[in-house]
Amino acid sequence: MNGITGLLVLLATGSLLVYVSPQLWTPRASRYLTMICMIAAWILWGITVSSGATDWQIGQIAYVADGVTFAAGTLVLLLGTFVVIYADHEASTNDRADIYYTLLLALVAFMIAVTHAADLFNLWLWFECMAVAAYVLVAFHNQERDALEATMKYFVQSVAGSTLILAGIALLLAETGSVSLAVIRDEASTTTPYLMAGALFVVGFGMKAALVPLHTWLPDAHSQAPASISAMLSGVVIATGLIALLRAIAPLNDANGFGLLLMGIAALNIVIGNLLALRQTQVKRLLAYSSVAHMGYIVLAIGIGLYAGQQTAIEGGLFHIISHGLMKGLAFLASGALLYNLYRVHDRHGTLTIDDLSGAARRYPMASMALAVALFGLGGLPPMVGFMSKWQIFAGGIAAHDTAITILLVIAGLGSIVSLAYYVPVVNSLYRQQMSPVVEQGGASGPIVNRTIGVLAFVIVITGLLPGLLDWLVQTAGTALAASFGL
Amino acid sequence: MTGIWFVIIMTSLWAGSAIVFTQRNTRNLRFVAVIASVIAAIATSLLVPLSSTNSITGLYLGDAFGALSFRVDTMGATLAVIAAVIGCITVIYSLDYMVTNPQQHRYFALVLLFIGAMIGLVLTDSLLMLFFFWELTEFCSYALIAFDSDNPAAATGGIRALLITQIGGLGLLLAALTIYSYTGSYAISTLVANPGLLPDHTLSLVAFGMLAAAAAKSAQFPFHTWLPGAMEAPTPVSALIHAATMVNAGVYLLARFYPAFADVNGWSSAVIAVGVVSAVGAAFLALTATDLKGVLAYSTISQLGYMVYAVGLGDIVASQFHLMSHAIFKALLFLAAGAVIHSAGTRDLSRLRGAGRSMPVTRGVFIVGGLALAGIPIMNGFWSKELILEAGYLHGPVWASGLMLLGVGLTALYTVRVVAVVFFGEAQTGILPAGWMMRLSMGVLAAGVVLSWLLIEPLTAQLAETLPAHDIHVVSLRTLVDDITKAPVTPIALLITGFGAALWMLRGTMAAILTQMDGLKPVMQGDFGFTAVNRHLSGIVTLTGVRLSRLHTGLVNWNIAAAAIGLLVVLVWCIGRAQL
Repeated sequence: MNGITGLLVLLATGSLLVYVSPQLWTPRASRYLTMICMIAAWILWGITVSSGATDWQIGQIAYVADGVTFAAGTLVLLLGTFVVIYADHEASTNDRADIYYTLLLALVAFMIAVTHAADLFNLWLWFECMAVAAYVLVAFHNQERDALEATMKYFVQSVAGSTLILAGIALLLAETGSVSLAVIRDEASTTTPYLMAGALFVVGFGMKAALVPLHTWLPDAHSQAPASISAMLSGVVIATGLIALLRAIAPLNDANGFGLLLMGIAALNIVIGNLLALRQTQVKRLLAYSSVAHMGYIVLAIGIGLYAGQQTAIEGGLFHIISHGLMKGLAFLASGALLYNLYRVHDRHGTLTIDDLSGAARRYPMASMALAVALFGLGGLPPMVGFMSKWQIFAGGIAAHDTAITILLVIAGLGSIVSLAYYVPVVNSLYRQQMSPVVEQGGASGPIVNRTIGVLAFVIVITGLLPGLLDWLVQTAGTALAASFGL
Repeated sequence: MTGIWFVIIMTSLWAGSAIVFTQRNTRNLRFVAVIASVIAAIATSLLVPLSSTNSITGLYLGDAFGALSFRVDTMGATLAVIAAVIGCITVIYSLDYMVTNPQQHRYFALVLLFIGAMIGLVLTDSLLMLFFFWELTEFCSYALIAFDSDNPAAATGGIRALLITQIGGLGLLLAALTIYSYTGSYAISTLVANPGLLPDHTLSLVAFGMLAAAAAKSAQFPFHTWLPGAMEAPTPVSALIHAATMVNAGVYLLARFYPAFADVNGWSSAVIAVGVVSAVGAAFLALTATDLKGVLAYSTISQLGYMVYAVGLGDIVASQFHLMSHAIFKALLFLAAGAVIHSAGTRDLSRLRGAGRSMPVTRGVFIVGGLALAGIPIMNGFWSKELILEAGYLHGPVWASGLMLLGVGLTALYTVRVVAVVFFGEAQTGILPAGWMMRLSMGVLAAGVVLSWLLIEPLTAQLAETLPAHDIHVVSLRTLVDDITKAPVTPIALLITGFGAALWMLRGTMAAILTQMDGLKPVMQGDFGFTAVNRHLSGIVTLTGVRLSRLHTGLVNWNIAAAAIGLLVVLVWCIGRAQL
């Protein structure tokens, strides 16, 4: 049994134990047990990564561990760890900490499993398992009508996507007699059945990755979930959808065509995400639309990389997955901390608006600073990591020396500038002298929450100053992804 | 050795900034801010004698990012010293100016962060780091303009400044990456030494991209609209960022890359045109501005226009020399204006009548600064502006020379107007003199205004030595004096200056003429229509957002319908590509 099998077994059994633990021991057992599981998971992950790229089979089921796995898995574990440490106050609402931690652990486990799948059936299966955990977590505040409505939308659209994916798998199975990515790669050609399957994957997984016009569930789901869950959903779950998409279309031998298609979709994501975020007054909804835009930058980079054979662009896209995951994660965690202190501490269910934040920096300096760091980073300002990942995307795009790509980059650049027009008012509000009524009556901030978001903000600045720290992760992933497309 | 000084400068400023930001004890944080800025000013001054043509490579940032490299040549070192010294003076001045402000930690932290970013910007030799510091200075500028974000005008001014300079910055981003994609190196010196590495049409795109970035940063037409709005910043910040340092970055960028772009078809003419239009247009706007800092802001745009014009003419010495003079006298003017505003509690010229009368020190230094701005001998502004006018007369198009001379007259007129309104006439009561720290800072700058031009010889000698590609001739003090006193354009310029100033005496007669032209006033106060253009552009963006949001009904049926359309399009696209 290698490291990764151990890791999945650990997280799966751990997640079950976490569920029963409060009945067996103390109510807080689920939290402690989750932390122990995360520590053990890091050890096993270290073993997996250090033993390098590999593939293996368990019976008929094929698995792969390559650079993409390592990059995505590391991000999932990292953000997952921050969320687990942070989540104490959110998990304990509803007294359902057992469900919260069980599903969070399952979410992490299944996401890592998705990145390991080397056949279409398992890719689909693990993805659905992950989605089930995500549906329930979005509905965690199950006494709130809006949360249930958001879950319904997420569920309906996600299942519609799953159906399309299944249809695509069926097409390929009929054509090649196999669901193995390796077999399909050998057989695939640019003929109708393969490209049709590719189209079904792009739309099916695109639904989960919030590609426009399939993104309509996202603003509801990501703004209604508990903030720590939104951090996971926006930070890594949609990116996992994209990675599954890329895994599924990679063997179809049409990097050029799919690259072009992705570039077009990316432009829509950037334009729609940024323009719609402009009008938002609720902080979490604003962040959700910003995720649509950021998926655009990621997909644009990967699209350019595939279309023009630019590995720098592919690496830029993967780097942006990591940097967006960290920054959006922090943005949700910090706004969640403020939401908790301003509303939930009084058992009130409000939505956090930009005006509510007025003067928050005076009472909550850490959460405000962290939110500002995250937002400026998302806007692509230095010295945050978002500046560097956007730089690399542009570097890869310009290197293609293609006028159409340059025009797309100008659109992306303008989109990024427009995004500052909605991030900046939030920060202005935070640093006002005049406190809003909710801030004046707000509760005290917790030391664990403050430290967690403080460390995450520090990580974002350090990787922004020294982007080379992530080179090994991004480069092995870029090489692996390019190779899987035959580039 | 240079590397060690660089580390000391950046550490003192940025570590100082971090300490100041987290420090809750006001006394301590003010102390740390002053110490950090003084160390940086001394260390930066010590860098000047070390300047050379060598690049120093430091930390490796990553494969797509190159190494952290910098190069202390005299062009960069001069700007770094301006940033550090005026930064230090500003910090000391702010001790009095910000004394009652409850958010001083944020203020001083941002000022220190800015000084570090500005020094990095002018000393780096890496295109990535150039853009990094370029954006970082923009961030600091925004954060300090919007410092008092309870005031809606400050918040809007900050966002506008950030967005407009970012749009220009996009030009720099694309230009920098294009250079990298052809040369395979982030070193600025590579392209400057060998512009032939880029194909002609690409080089021309790069050159114009950089021009857009420079125009936005230096508030030149048509990107100038952010600077008047930036006057919501605390006045010491206006002096430091929006007069003495950050706005010079555009001129610096053009001067730095001049050897690479000089032969690009139409580039020099475009630079000259931008400079002339900004210099004259902004001088007109300064005449009608109704607030004290607004006049100074338009005057900054106008003076930056002179520097840009000089770069277009290929006279890097004149441009750098005027940059130095302007940084000193405009910082002085802003600090003196800040002292008056601080005491009187308003920026409105009509309410500031006679406000500066009972502030003898402030009045004295403002007049010194005003003389330099108007180009009166022997202030530093006189020498540097005459150098530019002479270069224009000798090498430039005639129409440009003529318009620049008109600009000189307008400058004299608006300077006299401000001095006369604020510092003469009937004294206002209840005005307190400036604080001791404020007077000290202004005194140092006033001395600089009178004396800085004496540095012309060492400045040009070192520029010539460390910038071989820029074709710089050493100007000794004697040649400067000889040239300027004998140049035919000098008496003309002085005559026009005198005429411009005299127009103020005739304002009674002028007023009668001006009433005939009242229709022009709204046009001028609307910034020649540029304010409206900005408003329309942002209106269009917002409106598109509104229209698009109507497509988001929140109903699952519509969501699925959108998905179905998406599926159809993607299917058709994919099947269309298939080989049947």
